[in-house]
Amino acid sequence: MSKKILVVDDDQDVRSFVVTVLEENQYIPLVAQDGVEGLEMIEKHKPDLVILDVLMPRGSGIRLYRKLKTDEELKKIPVIMFTGIALKSFLKSQKALDEFQGGEVPKPDVYLEKPIEPEDLVAAIKKKLG
Amino acid sequence: MKIKKLLFVTKFEDLCYDALKSLLALRNAALEHVVFLNVIERDKVAMQRGSGYLKEEEVKLKETANIRFIDWAENLFEMGLEVGAYMEVSTLIPEILKVVEKESPDLIVIGHSFKSPLEQLYAGSDVTELIRRTEVPILVFKHRSEDNIVPEKLFERPLFATNWSETGKKTVEYIKELGKVIGEIHIMHVVKESALKSLDTHEVQKVRKIERKRLDDLCDELEEAGINAKPHVYVGDPQKEIEKAAKEYQASMIILGSSDKAAVLERWIGSISKNIADKSVFPCLLIPGKKDI
Repeated sequence: MSKKILVVDDDQDVRSFVVTVLEENQYIPLVAQDGVEGLEMIEKHKPDLVILDVLMPRGSGIRLYRKLKTDEELKKIPVIMFTGIALKSFLKSQKALDEFQGGEVPKPDVYLEKPIEPEDLVAAIKKKLG
Repeated sequence: MKIKKLLFVTKFEDLCYDALKSLLALRNAALEHVVFLNVIERDKVAMQRGSGYLKEEEVKLKETANIRFIDWAENLFEMGLEVGAYMEVSTLIPEILKVVEKESPDLIVIGHSFKSPLEQLYAGSDVTELIRRTEVPILVFKHRSEDNIVPEKLFERPLFATNWSETGKKTVEYIKELGKVIGEIHIMHVVKESALKSLDTHEVQKVRKIERKRLDDLCDELEEAGINAKPHVYVGDPQKEIEKAAKEYQASMIILGSSDKAAVLERWIGSISKNIADKSVFPCLLIPGKKDI
């Protein structure tokens, strides 16, 4: 059975690019354009994987990632970060939030900095989903 | 009302990272979320004879803004702040209002640079239009001089000009929430000269004493909230006197409330808030009253 992959990105061009790559590789794409919509889609559809941007309106990927990784029900969903924000900044932000909010969230398994070639994206997805 | 989320509207040339940095003192109050907005004016990508809609130009302008925002966002993310960004081809004020509806910010920050009279006219009308159409407080950011130096400690020494209106009370509540970031606040009331006509010296002193007492009470109220406050009574044209007091006390910004009713608001904006927001060299924090939009 085809796996459902949710793409959360505010850039329509990026969403179209990822959706095309997913469809060509027999995945079922779902899309959300910001962190708030992304969380709603995750709770509703329970996707097999989330491809997540960081800098977005109405809730960034940093908070959404944190929410996913601290939620008992959602933490097992693999997440591929796909963003223009540098990994170093992402990790520092999580550290700052760890200190401020308490707790610690795991580092993302896959962190892809934009832009990326389709085959690299597919390779990252296959690595996570098998 | 705490400032948890601010909307930072930038054209880049008028409001840059140094301006944003000076606002980060608000983290000590309640700031946790910054939303960037860059509006690409339609005429920059509009249909032109021979070239049509400039799609490539739109992409270029959006990507340029995106690169700047990513750079700024990385700095803010690293501090543990939440960040969002919008880059839209649109018209400035309607786009700001659209984002205000989506994001519900507690403060809008817009720039106001001192350039050509025409640009000043447009920037001025933007500010006026925004004040008229939103109930969200607006900080009109100013560069202190032509060399674009940004006041580093924006909240260190604000001047609050009160006209004792209902909006003035709302403004006081807003100021109290800034207690942790305000160093010392100067509070002034300007008695219009017309109010003193046909009064003898005794009566003039009486007016001063009454106003001073009201200011003292307000200062006490703010000191109870942990804010060091100093009262000042001025007489004359409000716009000129507010500007004069801001200079005398080296204010880091001017805080003004605007009136509550549409008709009155129009007059108030026209006479004082708008003029100060447009013409003063000081950054201005404008607290709009309730209105029927």
